[in-house]
Parts: sequence; C-alpha cells; structure tokens
Amino acid sequence: MASVDSQPRFGQSVKGLLSDKVGSCSGDVIALTRQVLKGSRSQELLGQAARNMVIQEDTILHSEDSLRKMSIITTHLQYQQEAIQKK
Amino acid sequence: MAAIGDEASAMDNIARAPAAQSAALNPASSGGGGSGSGSSSHVEAPEEAAATPPVAPKKPHTNSDGGVETAEEAVEPAEPDINELCTDMFEKMAIFLQGELTATCEDYRLLENMNKLTSLKYMEMKDISINISRNLQDLNNKYASLQPYLDQINQIEEQVSSLEQAAYKLDGYSKKLEARFKKLEKR
Repeated sequence: MASVDSQPRFGQSVKGLLSDKVGSCSGDVIALTRQVLKGSRSQELLGQAARNMVIQEDTILHSEDSLRKMSIITTHLQYQQEAIQKK
Repeated sequence: MAAIGDEASAMDNIARAPAAQSAALNPASSGGGGSGSGSSSHVEAPEEAAATPPVAPKKPHTNSDGGVETAEEAVEPAEPDINELCTDMFEKMAIFLQGELTATCEDYRLLENMNKLTSLKYMEMKDISINISRNLQDLNNKYASLQPYLDQINQIEEQVSSLEQAAYKLDGYSKKLEARFKKLEKR
C-alpha cells in the first residue's frame, strides 16, 4: 500500500524525505477511504435500489389510474341506482 | 549534490560557530601558536557564513547543569508560510474525504425521499380504495333492497316469454284451422 520505500534514501534532504512521507501518508489515507467505501458495496446496493424503485414507479402510477377509474365507475353506478330508486 | 553541500555547510557552521566564539573570547589564550589556526578558522567561518546566508541554523546551546551536558537539536528555521500551507493541505484533504463520504449519504437521502413519495402515493391509493369499498358496500345494500323488485321483473319477463310462446302456438293452430276450413269449403 505504501508508495514510498520504507528504507531511508541516502543523499536526500530531510525536507525532501518529510514531504515524500507526508505525500505517501495522504495517498494512503485516500486509498483507505476509497477501499472502505468500495468494500461496503453501498454504491452498488443503493444504485440497484434506485433502479428497482424507478421500474416500480410505472406500475404504481398504472395502479393509481386504475383505482381512480374504478372510483368514477362506482360513482356512476350510484347515480344509476338512485335513478332506479326514484323511478 | 547541492543538498549535500548545503547540509554539510550548515553542519560546519554549527560546529565552527562555537569555535569562533571561543576563539573570539579567548584570543589571549590562543596566543601566537593558536593564532594561525584561530585566524584561519576565524577567516573560514565568515567565508562559509557568507556562502550560505539564507541558512542560519540555530546555535546549539549546551547546558551543563549538575555535570550533565545537554544540547538542543540544530534545526533549520521553518519557512514563514509552511504553517499556512500545512493548514491548507489538511483542510483540503478533509474536504475531499468529506466529499467521498457525502456521496454515499446523498444516495441514502435520495432513496429516503423516493420512499417517502412512494409511501404518500400508497396512502392516497389507500384512501381511494377505502372510498371505493364504502361506495360498493352502499351499492350492495341498495341492490339488496331492490332485489324483490328485480325478482318481480324477472318473473314478469318469464311470464311474458311463455305468453309469447303460447301466442305463437295459437297463431300456428289458427292457421291450420283456417286451412282445413277452406279445404272443407271447397268440397
């Protein structure tokens, strides 16, 4: 995981070594974060859940339309029944 | 290689500065014998100090409390903006990591909102279906109250159909009678 050798580089200044070490540590932290997120598979599962919900929404809208039509038909039946009862 | 030269010059400055100080403080003790070496070291020190003006390492202080000598580490003075750069670096790294984690949080928020909207839709559908069931129950009750009339209508229809059958039979019989009567009349 470490991108820099652990052995000290002879002939390099302390400042250079320090900056290399800081850079490698920051890179390691970033790689660790990405690996943790990838390992949790949250992106895959959440994406799949969103896709399923989008597919399901069409069915839900169709069901809602059918229910509204059924309520209209029921209302018409009521009107007809009232007309029959009057007569 | 330049780093080696700077580092070596810095270390030499650190090493020779006390010697220069001691030489300056004790010129008498050095005398003629040490004057050559003292002067040469004295000459060399300013030359190297002039050679490396930007690098001014801290002079190590020696303490000899209780017979134990301690010394501070010779460090180069930090750049004036190194603190700001470090702060900036850590802030940006924190923002980056926060962004990585926020992406997953936003996905969860999206799913939460979608679930809330879907639950609202299902609640509306539940209300509609409750209304429909209530209306259909009323209709069934009214249909039950109208049932005897509907039975009467069915009976009337059956009787009318049987009457129609009888009328057809009577019509055929009357036609047969008419034909026989005409035959008999012709004889």
